[in-house]
Amino acid sequence: MPPPAQESIKTPGLSLMATEGSMGEKRPDQEKSRSIIRIEHLSKVFSAHQVVVAVDDVSFDVMQGEIFGLLGPNGAGKSTLIRILTTLMMPTSGRAIVDVYDVTKDQEKVRGVIGVCPQNSSLDLELSAYDNLDFFGRLQNLNEDTIKRRVWELLEMVGLSDRADAKVSTFSGGMRRKLEIVRAFIHRPLLLFLDEPTIGLDPESRREVWRQISLLNTENTTIILTTHYMDEAEKLCDRIAFMDQGRLIALDTLKQLQKTIPGGEKIEVGFVHFNDAVIDAIKSHPEVRGVEVKGGKVHISSQQGTSLLPAILDDFERYSIGVTTLSIRHPSLEDVFIHLTGKDFGERDAPVVGPSRRVP
Amino acid sequence: MLRGAVAIFRRDFKKFLSTPIALFMTLIFPIMYLVIFGNAIGGSITGIPLGVVQEQPYITPTPLYLAGREALSLYHQPDKPALFSIRAFSSEGAASQALGLGEVSGYVVFPSDVAPNRSTKLYVDSSEYTVPALIQSSVAVVLVQLGAMGPLYVDNVYGTIDYLQFFGVGVIVMAIFMTTMMGGGIALIRDRELGIIEGYLVTPVKRSSIILGMIGSGTVRAFLAGFLIFIVDIVVAGVIVRTPEQFLLVVTVLFMTSIGVTSLVVALASRFSNQQEYASSIAFFNLLLFMTSGAFYPVIGMPDWLRWVTVINPEAYAVHALRSIIIRGQGLSVVGTDLVALLIFTIGAILLGIATFKRTLE
Repeated sequence: MPPPAQESIKTPGLSLMATEGSMGEKRPDQEKSRSIIRIEHLSKVFSAHQVVVAVDDVSFDVMQGEIFGLLGPNGAGKSTLIRILTTLMMPTSGRAIVDVYDVTKDQEKVRGVIGVCPQNSSLDLELSAYDNLDFFGRLQNLNEDTIKRRVWELLEMVGLSDRADAKVSTFSGGMRRKLEIVRAFIHRPLLLFLDEPTIGLDPESRREVWRQISLLNTENTTIILTTHYMDEAEKLCDRIAFMDQGRLIALDTLKQLQKTIPGGEKIEVGFVHFNDAVIDAIKSHPEVRGVEVKGGKVHISSQQGTSLLPAILDDFERYSIGVTTLSIRHPSLEDVFIHLTGKDFGERDAPVVGPSRRVP
Repeated sequence: MLRGAVAIFRRDFKKFLSTPIALFMTLIFPIMYLVIFGNAIGGSITGIPLGVVQEQPYITPTPLYLAGREALSLYHQPDKPALFSIRAFSSEGAASQALGLGEVSGYVVFPSDVAPNRSTKLYVDSSEYTVPALIQSSVAVVLVQLGAMGPLYVDNVYGTIDYLQFFGVGVIVMAIFMTTMMGGGIALIRDRELGIIEGYLVTPVKRSSIILGMIGSGTVRAFLAGFLIFIVDIVVAGVIVRTPEQFLLVVTVLFMTSIGVTSLVVALASRFSNQQEYASSIAFFNLLLFMTSGAFYPVIGMPDWLRWVTVINPEAYAVHALRSIIIRGQGLSVVGTDLVALLIFTIGAILLGIATFKRTLE
């Protein structure tokens, strides 16, 4: 994964970069680090039956070309945020700029530069794979030749060229998902929104979809991904934003997020017989946060596990303790989330907020 | 075993009770069926507009003419109001014209002198169902009562019309309503439930294009359904279209009806939250419109309250227009009113459809 821009949560100050050199279709590639989405103090309040603050004063930027992960439990406000960014919903207050267009003012312009793959499949099951893509090409106002070329290109990409004329209802869940993702990509959008792209898929299909997403990202498309799955975010995302109860509680690269946990790196060293003196030696390293001995192993929590390891092994050697096993574990995103919210990811299912999908 | 059965019973019943519209319709439907069906078909026919005229040369009214006019205006079936609503004409030409315009269902021509064996003539609009036979038998009875000696000649002005022909024309309109309300509306609700329409909304396609596309496809589908039945009518029931203008008029009526009904369905389907509620409401609606359209029983046989439904029922205007053109061979002078009514309905439905559907897109 490419080293992403190191930017933590902060309100973008005087950034003027979004307005330059991006008029029309020609977009200079060298502007890798310009922000493609700017969100400033965005809020969404539902007040139908009871007042629910679905999105609460959220501000952040998404950089061009990155895969940006939006994580959080159900009801955290991810979907509402996505709906605002994709012009399906108006914010109560605040501003959101997609490319150079305001989502509340230039809705049609915004729709022209985004591709959306919703959580609930919106493929037409009674149409063939080809017709589904063809139809969306037409909705995107592409010309006939481009549509034909793009459809075959995309079918090839997801390995469905031989099933082009088969009805989508005959496809497996994984095939449908891949088809839907590339459908959102038919007009080469600047931005691709994927809402829970691998929900309900088997491990093999998930890997396929991940490959697909990485592949699309190499075409200089920025991808915004919401997910429940920590492993998905770890595998794909350059930067990760955590949302909880409508608020943005963290935003950084995975590495930086992991560092926020004091003593987050766990080193375990197995031994045959033990000498207590080694504990003091280990504790003398400034990065070490805690040492514990149980079950024939020394458990060390530290800040910098990888660089600390040689020094720890030296300590064991000095006290002539035979090392039998050795493991080092980096904190997972789940650990980060637990650390940030003080709760487990799963047990925080807030009530689903607002009309997540309206069937009027 | 019983526990499982009870569990399923409870689940089904809970769902049944939780959709009030469907529940209401399920219970009210058979009752409405009874009331509407019973009244629309079984109602007694009264107040048939009938013309009376004395044959030329007209000098003074003959006793037979005066007695006949009196007797016909009083004639009624036991315990029913008068069967005819009599209109006297000053000449046969005027009576014939009124019949041509559908203002009277028939007219009786009394002989100009009292000589025996002078025949009485009855011209009758044979395109209606049961009404012509009723007129003919009643006029015959009245003449016998008056002791008129001469024979009664009957002229079915539109020839002998089979019930199949009478009904077939109504089915054309029914086909348009049915296809659109059942097929089109349910497909639309399903698309919305599946989020397919929301999928359109994140593409640059305009809101107005979505509505235009939907109404357009529905209209063509409805038109084809109606046109297909029209062809079947020609082939099977043997109706004929006499001139290109009449064909054009038929197509116009079919098209206007199709676009109006489609727009109406877009509006309705936008307001219902699920297929079941929509389907049960529309089944009722369909029945009401069809029964009061005069498609398979003359409107004149309906009680007043149902006739009011007829007045605001676009299907009735479409049926009347088609029957006038196809069976009676009448032109714009007769169907003009129907076309205006259909035009008002169509424009109203389009506006309603656009307004309602737009609201679901916001």
